Amino acid sequence: MALPLTYNFRNVLVRWRATLATILGIGLVVAVFVLVQSLAIGLEKSAGNTGDPRNLMIVRKGSTAESTSQVSLAQFQIIRYWELIAHDAAGTPLVSADVVTLISQPRRDGRGEANVSVRGLTPVGMTLRPQVKLLTGRWFIPGKRELIVSRKIARRFAGFQVGESFRTAGNTLSVVGEFDGSNSAFDSELWMDADEARSLFDRQNYSSLLVRAANPEASREIINRIESDKRLPLLAEPEVKYYGDQTATALPIKILGNFLATAMSIGAVFAAMNTMYASVGSRTREIGTLRVLGFRRRTILAGFILEGALLAAIGGILGCLLALPLHGVSTGTMSFNSFSETVFEFRITPWLAVKGITFAIVVGVIGSLMPAIRASRLPVIAALKSL
Amino acid sequence: MTTASFILKNAFRNKRRALLSVSSVAVSLFLLVTLQVALRELTLPPQSAGAELRVAVRNKISLTNPLPVRQRKIIEKVPGVEAVTPFTWFGGKYKNEEGMSFAQFAMDADKLQSVFGEAKMNVDGYEKFTAEKDACVLGKITADKYHLKVGDRITLDSTVYPGSLSFHIAGIYAGTPDDRNMLFRQDYLDESIGLPGYVGMWWLKVRSADDMVPVIQAINAAFQNTAAEVRAESERNFQLGFISMLGNIKTLIASISTVVVFTLVLVTASTMSMAVRERFRELAILKALGFQRRELFAFILAESFGLAGAGAIAGIGSAYLLYTFGDIGKMTAGIFVAFEVTPRIMGFAALVAALLGIASAVAPALSVARMSVVGGLKTLD
Repeated sequence: MALPLTYNFRNVLVRWRATLATILGIGLVVAVFVLVQSLAIGLEKSAGNTGDPRNLMIVRKGSTAESTSQVSLAQFQIIRYWELIAHDAAGTPLVSADVVTLISQPRRDGRGEANVSVRGLTPVGMTLRPQVKLLTGRWFIPGKRELIVSRKIARRFAGFQVGESFRTAGNTLSVVGEFDGSNSAFDSELWMDADEARSLFDRQNYSSLLVRAANPEASREIINRIESDKRLPLLAEPEVKYYGDQTATALPIKILGNFLATAMSIGAVFAAMNTMYASVGSRTREIGTLRVLGFRRRTILAGFILEGALLAAIGGILGCLLALPLHGVSTGTMSFNSFSETVFEFRITPWLAVKGITFAIVVGVIGSLMPAIRASRLPVIAALKSL
Repeated sequence: MTTASFILKNAFRNKRRALLSVSSVAVSLFLLVTLQVALRELTLPPQSAGAELRVAVRNKISLTNPLPVRQRKIIEKVPGVEAVTPFTWFGGKYKNEEGMSFAQFAMDADKLQSVFGEAKMNVDGYEKFTAEKDACVLGKITADKYHLKVGDRITLDSTVYPGSLSFHIAGIYAGTPDDRNMLFRQDYLDESIGLPGYVGMWWLKVRSADDMVPVIQAINAAFQNTAAEVRAESERNFQLGFISMLGNIKTLIASISTVVVFTLVLVTASTMSMAVRERFRELAILKALGFQRRELFAFILAESFGLAGAGAIAGIGSAYLLYTFGDIGKMTAGIFVAFEVTPRIMGFAALVAALLGIASAVAPALSVARMSVVGGLKTLD
């Protein structure tokens, strides 16, 4: 016969002071675990959120970032007139030749500088990236030294508010609008006119092409044709895949998260063991009584493990709740792919919360295992005699 | 029985609990030291010998924009400049590896000794590097990692320039804080797949420390309002620029450290309370025997201090041993090369432990002080 659940539950509550400290301790461990993992998820999500399945990204073969890729004017002209490419209502081929360059700008908090990606693009480029929506101000006018800034980047750098201007490459650029990139990689960019960008940054070549294939079959054909054409030392891949692969930055964060989880969980196991041993110690008589009443050793064992798991689960839930206010808060670091500031959000997914709570329960079970074994092995008579 | 042995006996009468408490303090302090060292390595990268005489010159737009070769003559003429070399990022991938595991830069072979004098190798290496166009020199860490030796050939696929380049190893150097980089010749890059007429950066050495500031100012002024404005800065400031790019990662690590400390206090304080509550009766007897509050408080404080101290020795000590004698490059997948546990960090962790010892004695000491002898004797728990 199993011990009634309420017995365990009420036992957790009765020694509330020591229990509370353990629950809080486990809660904080889980909170740290969840937060660090949510950063990695946020980074991967922003990469995974980017791109349209109908689009293909074309960059120089071997380059790992748009800012170091080169596509020549001649190559652009060849690809632009392929019949495989979709056209808009006016008959313009849906090919955007972009220039991506990095500019070093001072942070808003005055703590040094960081690189920011500037994308020079044409109106076609905007059509191909409908994720980007203007929030305030207006779009830039081609032929003018104007640009629009992602709201998340604008918050982090000086001189990026609508109406402000800043200097780069010996020229003054005015910020005329602010956009939202719907949590995509474009949230880490500034946008301006492609030709203005080329002249401003003295670039003969474009960095990349974004094309919309006429249909899925044409898409595969474009990839093959670029692969086999010797004149085109380029690489075409689905836009979604290109951005999906840009997650190198998440790796160190994951390593940090796993290291913290391991080290902190060892500490938490010790703390849980201490609490559970104390709990067993002060209930020696009670355990003896239970045994006399006919409860078996393994029932006692299961009961104590359950109690540890219950305690840890409460801690786990608490940890998730503690981490929750940071969900959706945006933060930033240098991307190892683009070598520029990348902004992303803490993302606490339900799956991550489940992982956090499971992690807590594992800590609880390991922590209560030895105390539970001790409880189940107490000699009945001695236990009854103890004070 | 002396007071000291009384305290010691008390601390270890529940050996299991003492061990668990010491272990949890040790683990937490180990973590705290690790985070603090990581934070220090991120914010204060190791400084190389000769750094105080080196200036880095990059394009003012950003590090990734190139500089025209014609700037060289102008920089060389700036008073106080001893030697100038181009320094161009190649971004090569080795052996189809997913990412870049070491950095490669193109420079002038004959400037290696004058600008980066701390990179030491045998004389033969310098001679070959100057004599042969496709020569390269490799840092010892990278050479050891891939079992490469002088005379071997390596081929790297550039992520910046179109194609790949093949080099033969002229020498293996050591002596810089991070012996991982590969250096090869700018003229070899220009003649093969590079962008002739442009370099990535200029690195230069000034004659004396007094020349540093005037040289930096002169170079910044020299290219003002030209097509390629530059940012000249000391090597140290250049390094610190990288740290600024890391953004909020610093805050993240600092906040985690705070949470670790808080958790530590919580758990240890709770253990101490448990230990005291268990012997409430005993303490009441001591009180009845005439021991004063202050003495009882001293007993509790000494015990809690002792537990925290033992944890500190174990935690800080193991962190010190692991990071001083372990291979940190391997442990962190190459993210950190140096992981120095400084006396300052150890001192900080020891201070946290000391405060912890005091803080966790407060609550139990208060309840003992408040307890009446009769009340204490009645407790059963």
